[in-house]
Amino acid sequence: MSVGENSLPPDPADALAAVVALRRLADQLEDAAVEQAMRAGWSWPKVSEALGVTRQAVHKKHAKRLIAAGVKLRRRGDERV
Amino acid sequence: MSAFDKYLHAVIVRAMDEAQDDGSATIDAHHLLLSLAADQGSTAQQVLTSAGLDRAAVREALDREFEHSLSMVGVSPAAYDLPGPSHASQQPKMGASARLALERSFSSARKKDLRSAHLLLGILQAQIGTVPRALALAGIDQAELADRVRQTLNSQDQ
Repeated sequence: MSVGENSLPPDPADALAAVVALRRLADQLEDAAVEQAMRAGWSWPKVSEALGVTRQAVHKKHAKRLIAAGVKLRRRGDERV
Repeated sequence: MSAFDKYLHAVIVRAMDEAQDDGSATIDAHHLLLSLAADQGSTAQQVLTSAGLDRAAVREALDREFEHSLSMVGVSPAAYDLPGPSHASQQPKMGASARLALERSFSSARKKDLRSAHLLLGILQAQIGTVPRALALAGIDQAELADRVRQTLNSQDQ
């Protein structure tokens, strides 16, 4: 997908609504991708580095949710890689 | 707490559930609309239903708006078969669009006169954003619907 000059929707309302919808899609994608990574045994530092955010940020945003969903999370001491 | 305060609290709690089901960090105006549409027996719900907008229809309109807006920049959500989000860890907070809808509701009547229909009116006063776009896509005349809410309020006052 490319958002060049030609593909920006002509109506600003459409362009701005697309921003809102893309943010929502990105949030959904992040939720699913982080859960997938943690189920696959990724560590918090690895996930946070992949997302380009701090470990604290990703932990704060996802830890409780994943624990509630029954995902077994790796502790710092489990770090092998 | 007045009866309306209790009612408003229940509406917001239901909207918060809707936001959580959406995986949204904020309660937005469209979550308030879903909440009102699900509120069996209230005037707001009756007016919405008379326009063909039960909760499922509102949800469908919102999903359509999401897909439509993404399509504007060449993205298809159908390309992502995403699992539903596990519930967010933090309670969704009041977002800007929901705040604005409530402010508009509160300014439409004296506090002691506020009812469910005023909440709906506050939401329907938005000219811009997800709710107007979703209603337009569902073929709903938003101005006409708002008028119908006002008429209902007037007839109740008499």
